[in-house]
Amino acid sequence: MRSGSPHADDADWVRRRLGGRSGRAFWRGLEELSEAPEFKRLLAAEFPSLAQSPADFARRDILKCLGASLALAGLAGCSEDLSHSVPYVEAPETIIPGRPKYYATAALMGGYAQPVLGETHVGRPTKLEGNPDHPACLGATDAFTQAALLGLYDPDRSRSPRYMGRPTAWSGLDAMLVSQATRLDATAGQGFCLLTGATSSPTMGRQLNLLMRRWPQARWYIHEPVSEESRIEAARLVFGRRLEQRLHLDRAEVVVCLDDDVMGPGPKQTYHARGWTKRRQSAQRGEGSCAIWMAEPTPSLTGVMAGRRIIARPDRISTLAAALAARLGMSSEPAPPLGEEERRWIESAAAALDAHRGQCLVAVGSQHAPAVQALGLFINAKLGNIGATLVLAEPSLLQPPDEAATFQDLVQRMKAGEVSSLTILDCNPAYTAPADLDFTGAAERVEMRFHSGLYFDETAALCQWHAPLQHDLETWSDARAVNGLATILQPLIGFSFGGRSRHVMLQNCLGDVFAEARAVVVETWREFWNDAFDEHWNSALVAGFVPDSAPAEIAVQPIVDTAPAVARAARGEGLTVVVKPDPTIWDGRFANLAWLQELPKPLTKVTWDNVILVSPALAEELHIETGNEVRLEVPGRSVAGPAWVMPGQEPRTVTVFLGYGRGPIGRVMEGAGYDAYRIRTVADPWQSGGAGLTRTSKVWQLASTQLHFALEGRDMVRFVPAGDARVDGRHSKKRKVGETRKETIYPVQHYESPSWGLSIDTDLCIGCNACVVACVAENNIPMVGKEQVAMGREMFWLRVDRYYQGPPENPKTVFQPVPCMHCEKAPCEMGCPVNATTHSPDGLNQQVYNRCIGTRTCSSYCPYKVRRFNWFDLTGSDPPEIQALRNPDVTVRDRGVMEKCTYCVQRIRSAEIQAKIDGRPIRDGEIQTACQQACPTSAIVFGDVMDPETVVSRRKTSSRDYSLLEEVNTWPRTTYLARIEDEPPDGGSEKG
Amino acid sequence: MTQDVSIRTASSHSRYAEITQEVVGIPLNYPRWRNWWIAFGIALALLLLFFISAGVLFWRGVGIWGLNIPVNWGIAISNYVWWLGIGHAGTLISAMLLLLNQPWRNALNRFAEAMTLFAVTCAGLYPILHLGRPWRFYWMAPYPSTMNIWPQFRSPLTWDFFAVLTYLTVSVLFWYIGTVPDLAASRDRAKTRFWQVFYGLLALGWRGSAIHWARWRQVYRLTAAIAVPLVVSVHSEISLLFAAGPLPGWNSTVFPPYFVLGAAFSGFAVVSMIAIVLRHAFHLQNLVTVQHLDLLAKLLLATGLMTAYGYVIEIYATYYGGERYELETLWDRFTGAYAFSYWGAIVCNFLPLQLLWLRGARTSPLLLFLISLSVAVGMWFERYMLIVTGLYKDYLPSSWGLYDVSVWEWTLYAGTMGVFFVPFLLLVRFLPMISAFEIKETFYESQTKDRPSVVRPDAERTSGHA
Repeated sequence: MRSGSPHADDADWVRRRLGGRSGRAFWRGLEELSEAPEFKRLLAAEFPSLAQSPADFARRDILKCLGASLALAGLAGCSEDLSHSVPYVEAPETIIPGRPKYYATAALMGGYAQPVLGETHVGRPTKLEGNPDHPACLGATDAFTQAALLGLYDPDRSRSPRYMGRPTAWSGLDAMLVSQATRLDATAGQGFCLLTGATSSPTMGRQLNLLMRRWPQARWYIHEPVSEESRIEAARLVFGRRLEQRLHLDRAEVVVCLDDDVMGPGPKQTYHARGWTKRRQSAQRGEGSCAIWMAEPTPSLTGVMAGRRIIARPDRISTLAAALAARLGMSSEPAPPLGEEERRWIESAAAALDAHRGQCLVAVGSQHAPAVQALGLFINAKLGNIGATLVLAEPSLLQPPDEAATFQDLVQRMKAGEVSSLTILDCNPAYTAPADLDFTGAAERVEMRFHSGLYFDETAALCQWHAPLQHDLETWSDARAVNGLATILQPLIGFSFGGRSRHVMLQNCLGDVFAEARAVVVETWREFWNDAFDEHWNSALVAGFVPDSAPAEIAVQPIVDTAPAVARAARGEGLTVVVKPDPTIWDGRFANLAWLQELPKPLTKVTWDNVILVSPALAEELHIETGNEVRLEVPGRSVAGPAWVMPGQEPRTVTVFLGYGRGPIGRVMEGAGYDAYRIRTVADPWQSGGAGLTRTSKVWQLASTQLHFALEGRDMVRFVPAGDARVDGRHSKKRKVGETRKETIYPVQHYESPSWGLSIDTDLCIGCNACVVACVAENNIPMVGKEQVAMGREMFWLRVDRYYQGPPENPKTVFQPVPCMHCEKAPCEMGCPVNATTHSPDGLNQQVYNRCIGTRTCSSYCPYKVRRFNWFDLTGSDPPEIQALRNPDVTVRDRGVMEKCTYCVQRIRSAEIQAKIDGRPIRDGEIQTACQQACPTSAIVFGDVMDPETVVSRRKTSSRDYSLLEEVNTWPRTTYLARIEDEPPDGGSEKG
Repeated sequence: MTQDVSIRTASSHSRYAEITQEVVGIPLNYPRWRNWWIAFGIALALLLLFFISAGVLFWRGVGIWGLNIPVNWGIAISNYVWWLGIGHAGTLISAMLLLLNQPWRNALNRFAEAMTLFAVTCAGLYPILHLGRPWRFYWMAPYPSTMNIWPQFRSPLTWDFFAVLTYLTVSVLFWYIGTVPDLAASRDRAKTRFWQVFYGLLALGWRGSAIHWARWRQVYRLTAAIAVPLVVSVHSEISLLFAAGPLPGWNSTVFPPYFVLGAAFSGFAVVSMIAIVLRHAFHLQNLVTVQHLDLLAKLLLATGLMTAYGYVIEIYATYYGGERYELETLWDRFTGAYAFSYWGAIVCNFLPLQLLWLRGARTSPLLLFLISLSVAVGMWFERYMLIVTGLYKDYLPSSWGLYDVSVWEWTLYAGTMGVFFVPFLLLVRFLPMISAFEIKETFYESQTKDRPSVVRPDAERTSGHA
């Protein structure tokens, strides 16, 4: 019997077809179903629009929709049933499952855009690569950018608006904002204050202009814990106007850093490292020099790469700057008194600078007073570096029109009750504000507080209203890279985790509750391009940046004739405290990203905690050992945290790191470290004197991935004198690959091209960790947590070893990235009883997960200890968001199997397939391993070692090439280039 | 005192019956119920602990142990070697001394063989328990799988698997064959139908005819001849697990003999301990005499000195070789984080052992027990030291890391004691634990020749049974 409606009948048919199916069978059911003519008829009857040709939709929208539905279906597929999802009726031509699509966009860091290409699989981004066409990064990224993807998927992100801490509907928030806008219209914005983080977004600038014009009495403030502000201020002191400094390290043969970690973590790391690499590589070939002088109180990445490093107390930096100016004859003042070591350092630095006028650079850390930095800029100007190694331009970062609108000013006004409504956008002052400002107390006096951010964080908890923001990677926006080029950010992901873009939030504040993120951004650029909008817009999206959009270089002369005087008041008794942003979680914004929490800090290799760096001498004096809790007291406040005895630390300086000690805002950050913001003051945000250190009875269990730092007289890292390296540069001495190999009892396999190998230049590695996080993202490497790291069970396939050589007071530090060596005579292959680790014909040491039974013999036999074992089921209980993040090309490993670096075999195979389809051999450089691709210094090169013309083969013929543990005779395919020791500029007389 | 180790009582034929009754009667009329139940209760509790520890291990994964990278083998492997070493002494006592015509072994061989059996069981469990995916252990076996993959024959683990399996099979066979005549005796003396059938089935229809004895002797000697070289090959093979790896402190050609001797050493220690306890518990002083203890102690001393020689040679070879990594590992054994295990091994193995130069110490059950206990502990230290010091500091200082034994590893170790003692106690309870017929044989021969049997030349002995 047929019922009245033909549709109902068909629906019954569908239900019958799907009846009793679930999970995988259900999926198959849907696929089969979608092919059935009955279903097509039903679809046409029920949804006429879907059955029609989608020609009248914009292509991207359709792709977005389709990607979104599929991606959401996939997400839900992990846990829920799919009775509401709609499969492809006809597969769209442009989406091929298994073939990723790449979108150019950017991740934001400290207001700057970090240009990226996002790899997406059917609507799910799985990996970020640097945008290879973007001049600021040339395809490289830093660790933060690699981890930005995890930030997008973070399950602890805020998902819905809240009122008084309880989830509420968007409509309630919209109503509040509209009524506030109406009220503010009446008073011209009286009492309304907006607080944002640093931003370089042109759209944001346009919106803020609108806002200020509409509500002239309103105020806009910026609060960024680690800001560029003092650098810009220093430029104003010397050149009379606010200018941004762009360092061209590629042109600087001599760099004198006065406590400026130019290659250290931060928004500019990739840019600076790229430049330095270019210079260093030229120097390796014998073209010019690439020497760094560094004076610093606490070891930094730049200090590690510096040929001449002295340890200087923070308050000596101004003295050294003055001495340098005096030595170079730029100062009328007499040279300040210096210690013997300081004097020699200044003399050699000054001589080198003098010899390289226009090709050198003096950099002063932004944590020092603008006056000191100004002196550095003045020296640069006098040396003719402006416009050469140091380019000045209009700041990319936006600046409130009112120069007095500092954060302190805002807090003063809040305390004075002058602020009736405070809107905080993407900024967390309740956590990051200087402790003596009492932002929390001041906020109590503001009637109406509204916070919008990625997390329901400390500041959100202070506010009545909270709204979730969209992540940079899931929204439309724009921003400028560190070289000023604007990038239009486009969403990588086909669906949203339930927030609004910051531009939409701003529009909402203006009472426009129907704003759409893309439209707001389009409007900005339509104004910019006028009629040529369409062509430019699309090409800018494809390219990932807007060509020629950087604020132009400005040629200016110093407005002062003599070196500005700097205060050189030495601090009194007590210890000096240096505050630094954390090298892996920065100011705390990345605290909930496990990839960065578990990432070993470059110099201490500590994970999951911040430490208090103490010099060996001070530790001895106070009987402190690494891990002892110490209480650091500065006048009026104190903080307690775990001590870390740091070789190379200034004896009377103690270093603390920001970003930790946060509450249960996210599952990852909870309980990690101590909060160094509690001793930070408005007056001395980065360094203060008169501190005291006492040991408490508590001991922290610190999870460090490397427990031994001494080279122990072994030659894992080799050094060659600069002279020898130069000889190599002229190709006068070539090595044959494998000439150091000893006889083996095993049959020797002959490999044909292509056969893969890797070369790592320890002379270029700055230890930045970008490769490690890139490897994690590419290879679905699970994070294990602090306890497991402390037990020695971290899962990184690639680690960056760090060794010390020399006295603990001021040792030489070296980094050595260690992936799998892919030994031709691999002990692991001999040890495995079940053939789970074997050698491929193209020279890869393979690990077959589904054959592995977990005897761990391979790891016992591995002389390099690069293998990692799944001690537990590390992946099964991941939340669906994290499952969605995984790279579908890489197997997710089960409990009880061994894993290790594969040379990114999935990339090799996909390139091979492509080359085969195209009927051509694989080109050199076509395959990049994830670590190589991320590396901002090109230290890692991968390629065919059987083809003598490839870059990797040429590197392996260098006299600097060596195998790690040659004596074990494993014939590794990963080899290293020895580090070049910088020759003392004055011919070695400096020794001793 | 004379060298006589035979059983000397009133010379009459009734003595044969007495011996049989004394040995076979134990399972039939069990004398020490209370003590047995106490011991069995403890052993059962340990067995339960084993099942709990293994259950948690299977449920959660080997991560519950204290292992890490670099020390990804811990006491699971050292216990494996330790248990196997203990097992070897049983075979040596039983089979080698049989082949060498040392009839004094007859008082010891049966429980020594049982000890082998259960020690090898414990040892064999460990490599499976320690796997990441223990449910796949059979992939080590060469069977025709649909995946068409064989084991990897260069791996010492593959050969370990074969070696232990072979050894277990041969040990079971050897023990069983040796027990058959006594099982028949038990059958003949059993009072209830159940036990008559039980022993009857196990006795394989043994009637004690001359042909039975001739066949039996052939098989028994043949199995012994297979078992003895197995001791050497199995433990040499185990040593390759380490020696084949390229790690300093492991990669050494001295390992195979060193391991075999160490195994015999620890095994004799455990045999002595068990002999002393059984002898005391069941009043078998006239079967396991002071002379037996004296001989065991001499064997212990001899193998101990050979093991000590292995230590010396290892140090000598390292210094002679002069390889820096080897030297550093050696130095690290003396002074590093696990120096306690090195010095523990030295002290426990070799210091109390020196007392055995004195006859008084050799014949004092208590002293010998304590010395043997010390050796068992010392050899455990040695295995622990070899594994951990080889792994925790190898080539790259960056990957050095310490290993702490977790609670679950200790409970599993204690649990394997249960695996050992539960069947052992059952055996003591239900099967003849001393070879009655072999003791009778010894007795007979001592009666007829009236000479100490230990010094009798082989030819005579063999002809006596032809």
